[in-house]
Amino acid sequence: MPRKTKDIKESKEETIKKKPVAKSTKKASVSSKKSNETNKNIINKDKQTSKVAKKVTTKSTTAKKSSTKKVATKATSKATAKKPSTKSTTKTTTKKSTTKATAKKPTTKSTSKKADIKPVIVEYYDLPYRYNQTVVKLLAQTPDSLFIYWDISDEDRENYKKTYGNDFFEKTKPVLIIHNETLKYSFEVDINDFANSWYVQVNDSKCNYKIELGRRPIVFNEEINKKINNNYINISSSNNIESPNDKILFNINTEEIKFKNVKTQEIKSKSISKILFMPLLQQMNNIYDLYKNLYQEEDLGNVFNPSSGNPSSNNFTNKV
Amino acid sequence: MQEKKGYVSFVLHAHLPFIHHPESDDYLEESWLFEAISETYIPLLTNFQKLVEENVNFKITMSMTPPLLSMLDNKLLQRKYIKYLKKLIELSKKEVKRTAYDSKLNELSKYYLDRYSNDLHIFKNVFNCNLIEAFKHFQDLGVLEIITCGATHGYFPILYVNEKTVKAQIAVGVQTYEKYFGKKPRGIWLPECGYVPEADKYLKEFGIDYIITESHGILYADPTPIYGTFAPIVSPEGVIAFGRDIESSRQVWSSINGYPGDYNYREFYRDIGYEADYDYIKPYIAHNGVRVHTGIKYYRITGDTNNKDYYNIQWAKDSVEKQAGHFLDSRTNQINQISQYINTPPIILCPYDAELYGHWWYEGPYWLYILFKKIHYDDCNFELITPSEYIDKYPNMQISSPCRSSWGANGYSEVWLNHSNDYVHRHLHVAGDRMCELANLYPNAKGLKKKALNQCARELLLAQSSDWLFIITNGTMVDYAKKRIKDHIGRFTKLYYDIKENNIDENFLKDISKKDCIFPDIDYMIYK
Repeated sequence: MPRKTKDIKESKEETIKKKPVAKSTKKASVSSKKSNETNKNIINKDKQTSKVAKKVTTKSTTAKKSSTKKVATKATSKATAKKPSTKSTTKTTTKKSTTKATAKKPTTKSTSKKADIKPVIVEYYDLPYRYNQTVVKLLAQTPDSLFIYWDISDEDRENYKKTYGNDFFEKTKPVLIIHNETLKYSFEVDINDFANSWYVQVNDSKCNYKIELGRRPIVFNEEINKKINNNYINISSSNNIESPNDKILFNINTEEIKFKNVKTQEIKSKSISKILFMPLLQQMNNIYDLYKNLYQEEDLGNVFNPSSGNPSSNNFTNKV
Repeated sequence: MQEKKGYVSFVLHAHLPFIHHPESDDYLEESWLFEAISETYIPLLTNFQKLVEENVNFKITMSMTPPLLSMLDNKLLQRKYIKYLKKLIELSKKEVKRTAYDSKLNELSKYYLDRYSNDLHIFKNVFNCNLIEAFKHFQDLGVLEIITCGATHGYFPILYVNEKTVKAQIAVGVQTYEKYFGKKPRGIWLPECGYVPEADKYLKEFGIDYIITESHGILYADPTPIYGTFAPIVSPEGVIAFGRDIESSRQVWSSINGYPGDYNYREFYRDIGYEADYDYIKPYIAHNGVRVHTGIKYYRITGDTNNKDYYNIQWAKDSVEKQAGHFLDSRTNQINQISQYINTPPIILCPYDAELYGHWWYEGPYWLYILFKKIHYDDCNFELITPSEYIDKYPNMQISSPCRSSWGANGYSEVWLNHSNDYVHRHLHVAGDRMCELANLYPNAKGLKKKALNQCARELLLAQSSDWLFIITNGTMVDYAKKRIKDHIGRFTKLYYDIKENNIDENFLKDISKKDCIFPDIDYMIYK
């Protein structure tokens, strides 16, 4: 179960792809890959990265070819009819919708005789390259490491260019401003336009954070600087999060210790002046340091659960 | 007899990701389920049965996740498991002949033949292919408490940026539980013990009383719980949290002194799938001829050496006895010490992956059996209890907010959010937002549209399984995990556009509904 080489998987995927209708599947995956590459240059809709071809297995190759050609024009018109506003009816779109349409309509002639044949669904997907929306999302990886991902939509990009000039994105650089809203301080991290996500180290755990994505002029540019206040322009802000806590909070004060009877919902305060469970804890903030201290001779690498809910875990290897 | 001063509570988390490929027999990953059935679930059930027959008073808690329940209930996977067993029995028979030259080896091969034949008999004739009913039977007897889990083991600290997606994980987890066990679950195993306070209100909404957290989920709580992990706390929203005991975890997991590393125990990594003659073993390994584990393993851990001795069942049993005694003594001492400081009887919570018992640690289920017998018969100062029973007995608990935490390496989200898998999260978030958008755009849809919307919800949930992120981090079977993310996001995205364009492809929908057939009764309106 757990330890299988990559070779198995790769070859397996190939066989799966080849199975239903060898030729069409190959075609599908190739064109899909192409489109994904195109995605990187041409901003387009994420829909284009998925590929579902429906084919009737018994069809001959020649029939397939001719039908594809026939419907090419049909499909294009269909696509444009559906999305008149879409700017990017690029090559990829046309190609894709062609195959899509091919799958749906062209077979009437060749398959009418064999109406009972079950269509085989051939699927190939790539993750959308981007979703074309302006977004900044923030997650806590650990108490002292935050993860941020972002994107700026084409529309917003165009608006910035309109406002600040066509070279706005060349003349400015992206920055992340990290706001610690609990301790009321902020700091800034330089990022770059090749990245769409970032990890930021923070010093204070158990604090509320919010991140701002913004841009600053790289060098003094009169045209841009005239329009930007404080040498900075805000693009978008993230969600608010609280980073996890990483220490025992020695914030015990008698009034805070409240007990609840979960059956009756009755709440009572107890006057307890110290943390009862570990008289040993006095000097130590980190519970795992405490245990390391208690069991100095042992490797405590596995105090945390080495497995994680499924037998594909290989963390157990260090046991034997 | 010693006075009972405290409690020990075992919680086994039984989970496997939903792996169901009606389209092909080639997916090796389906065998994860079959191995877990043979090595963990059936041994646990048979040991529970023995304890019941011997009138041993025991209590244990198990979380059974919705994907696991769905697979155990799946007719195709049941048939595939029987086929898997028949193959293994055929191989075991060949092994009995092949090993005739060596009496020790021959004895072991007969043991495997016996064991797998017995599995087949039990599965088909005793449990009628329905392991869920078998577990339910013990819950109805009052010795086992079954709790639920997030619908597809989605990791809350990543999903909660869209709270509706956490709510749906909880809702579907509770619904699936009710479907199979005929009542509401009192507890939930948070996927990967991933705790965020934002989930509390939804846990309460769906009637969940308690959760299990990693040790620092309690120890770093605010304000500090005065009893540490030795008593549950209740969050301001009213969710009760039990924390993992560090000391007892260490005894099982420690890489040096951990129980599963005993030299007399079966060596996991020496399997005839890798060692037997290629032509001989070929029919029993991967379809494409790559060697894999078969489940027939003849060696014991022996020591830090490659020169392994044959496995000796009696020696392994002796070690089990010794270690169960050690665990019992350790808990007795621990409870004696703790009860000096605590007024309420302490609870030592021992949560583990169920698959540790039997699959990784072959002797694990037998260890539990012996331990439970010792606790029943020996003179010790504690009793076994389930978290629910503890709450009912000692309903007074400190109000405190558990710490955001998980039971993964280093205690937070690194396993499910790091450089190897962080490209996935934006897709999960967008799909989550889009699902909510669809539910709001098309409330109470009928017919084909309703089917498509429900399938959207299934695809989203399947994409959210924490397993894919975990596997990518772990580095084994990565291609499969990546493919699953692509497939579910891909299917979701296609459906999303098809629904919005009012152009649902019925054949496509039928096809993926057959493949991703988890949660047949799902209602996409949970995302509204």
